[in-house]
Amino acid sequence: MNDKTKFDKNIPSRRNFLAPIGAGAAAAAMVKHGKLFAATASIPSIRIPKEVAGTLGEEPKAGSFDGKGMSGAEVFAKLCKEEDLAALFCCPGNYTVINAIAAAGVPSYGGRTEGAMCAAADGFSRVTGEVTACSGTEGPGFTHMIMNIASAHAARTPLLVLASNMQIAGDDREAFIQTGYQQPITTGMKKYGKRLTAPNRVWEYGAYAFRNLKSGVPGPVHLDFPGEVARARFTDSSKLTDFYDKSKYRSDSRPHPSRKEVEKAMDLINRAERPIFVAGQGVFQRKAWDALKEAAEKHEFAVVTSGPIRGHFPDDHRLSASLSPDALMSADLVVFVGQYCMPSPGEYRFNPDVKVIRVHPVAEDLGRNWPLELGIVGDEKVFLEMVATDLPRKKRDAWVNELAAARQASEKTNLDHYELGLKHSRATNHIHPAVMAKEVHDFLYRGDIDPRQTVTGSGGWTSGLFAGRWLRAFRAGQGVVCAYQYGAIGPDLAMMIGAGAAVQRGVGPQAPYKGAPVFVVSSDAGIAYSLFELDTAAKYKIPVVAVIYNNNSWGMWPSAVGSARSMHMYLFQENLRYDKMAEGLGARGEYVQTPEELREALKRSYQAATKESASTLINVQALKEFTSGKDYPPGIALPPEPGVGAFAH
Amino acid sequence: MALEKPCIVLLLIIGRVAAGVQSDQQDAPLSAADARKLKNPVPYTKKSIAQGRGNFARYCTGCHGQDGKATVDVVADATDLTDPSVWRNGTTDGEIFRSIRDGAGASMPAFKSQIRQEEDLWHLVNYIHSLWPESKRPPLQEK
Repeated sequence: MNDKTKFDKNIPSRRNFLAPIGAGAAAAAMVKHGKLFAATASIPSIRIPKEVAGTLGEEPKAGSFDGKGMSGAEVFAKLCKEEDLAALFCCPGNYTVINAIAAAGVPSYGGRTEGAMCAAADGFSRVTGEVTACSGTEGPGFTHMIMNIASAHAARTPLLVLASNMQIAGDDREAFIQTGYQQPITTGMKKYGKRLTAPNRVWEYGAYAFRNLKSGVPGPVHLDFPGEVARARFTDSSKLTDFYDKSKYRSDSRPHPSRKEVEKAMDLINRAERPIFVAGQGVFQRKAWDALKEAAEKHEFAVVTSGPIRGHFPDDHRLSASLSPDALMSADLVVFVGQYCMPSPGEYRFNPDVKVIRVHPVAEDLGRNWPLELGIVGDEKVFLEMVATDLPRKKRDAWVNELAAARQASEKTNLDHYELGLKHSRATNHIHPAVMAKEVHDFLYRGDIDPRQTVTGSGGWTSGLFAGRWLRAFRAGQGVVCAYQYGAIGPDLAMMIGAGAAVQRGVGPQAPYKGAPVFVVSSDAGIAYSLFELDTAAKYKIPVVAVIYNNNSWGMWPSAVGSARSMHMYLFQENLRYDKMAEGLGARGEYVQTPEELREALKRSYQAATKESASTLINVQALKEFTSGKDYPPGIALPPEPGVGAFAH
Repeated sequence: MALEKPCIVLLLIIGRVAAGVQSDQQDAPLSAADARKLKNPVPYTKKSIAQGRGNFARYCTGCHGQDGKATVDVVADATDLTDPSVWRNGTTDGEIFRSIRDGAGASMPAFKSQIRQEEDLWHLVNYIHSLWPESKRPPLQEK
């Protein structure tokens, strides 16, 4: 034991906490399978319990009506399995239900906080479009998920939120502990919710849930399970109401737009000189990216993507306007397709008076926020297939050239900001966020890695604003906009661990890149919300590279300037070692202060991710003052919307 | 470009800006004193205000809001552009020009690398004047 560990272990100080980590890290050596740190004489190794691999390798064991019959939880799990629930992320609690879902064969993950597990489920769904679930115990576990349920709601994620909820017999009695009424708490952040009170209707309400999750505009569905429902026993399916196969309790039928309306839309598109399609989340959800590309190339209209996931139109396509913000104002016709979270004129950088067509799967939302020239109720994929077939082939050289010129101008701006950032980095020996973002960009897209491979996400304030401008999406499901709409700072790492689980399994559009590492760029403020999930990533060998911009403060510290007695509320201790904390959780840690150090750390981290399935946290040491445009130009600015870096709509 | 109090330094500054020469020297931030001496070369007209409105929509509404009142608290302490009495970095044309071009305070970014034409910055200055209470706005100069 060195000097650092000579302290009173009974005093739970930060120093006591970090010192053994430092000692362990000094002797750390990554090895495969289980032992993540070599032991010193007195400190045991971090290791993955053998039960993890052991139980993950067991055959599914679904419930049966035979013998003792099925529990209510097993009936529900059977429905989840038949509905192809893609994954469950949870913390223990709601035991009967999570155990039944895992036993039924749904890929299941247990983590450190319910909130982070909810974000992970959201992340898995965002990069696949599939339905995922999260779960927590009644009361505290459930309420811990709230921020991320709200984020999923804003992102229109098909997320099944599950929680136990005591016994019906205990209602209104404050019986034992954790009593609470869940459904009112999720009001305004769910598509559908129900406290299950009749055990024999558990299948019926499960069907209700998936009907909502898989139809129309998706959104979270919240079911809470009292003990009487989860633990009820059924030896005969006839005791269950509406115990039908999914082909009978819901339909995959989609609304087809009328031929007349589509022809009117095509006439407007054909007559426009500079038409642009805003390809929203619905284009991704409906896997309509091929039809979109075919239509765009045939008729040479511009495309900009929007929503919580990016890449359903490639950023590097000559018709992409995602990097051409200066061209947006020139568009003379905007066609929103699958824009689930609708901006108002002025929030998007279009001429506020531009003609607008909107294609949306439900009529109730047409005309909300933005006045329409034409509103069409219709499935996104059906609409895009119709226009891909029927729009005439057309050349729009002037429009394409304008897009190219605007793209060149925005790339020049990015490079100018990088050059300024590099100057500041050299002068201060701290890394400017523009430099951090550019280094990650170059590593992922300009080196040996297939630029289409790596799924990325970004968050934090300063870090997110810069990273958003440099991260790219060249194929469907490649770019997660972690803060989309709700603007939560913090779920980023957990969300990307969920996305990493989807890549690890090669689900949906991630299939060609199965097993590849994922990257997240976030901040010191953000990482506090989900740092502990590096343990989860390590436990399941989900390789994540987390680039953490450490400017010693909340990004909003300028709000305290000029306000008496305020600044302390915005600051952290300086030079905190998140990398050491990562090491203490069984991941790798890197600490960098120069662009060259960051470049080398990225290489090492990627290598560890691909060869050892090891996650890394790269602690990028910065200064809060880089936020100031006056002292360190350019400072921070909100990105134009829609397009690369956009996060509001 | 007319000058209120011509001096060599000011001539150099304005000359560099007006010429649109891209250099480190030209990109150097204006001092507060130099900014105060600058005179807006773009007349305060409806046309200029309209042109400024376009760039305001592009670059400014995220923090200052569509009405300029900066009531969205999500973004750090943006200035209420409709109330010059609370401004911290000056209200003359040149000072507004400087705040937009070079940044101001701890969170107002420098827009010189995004709004590259000096004239566009002055149109924006004029648009911002149009957000002020009527009694404080400059008189319209119709052309």
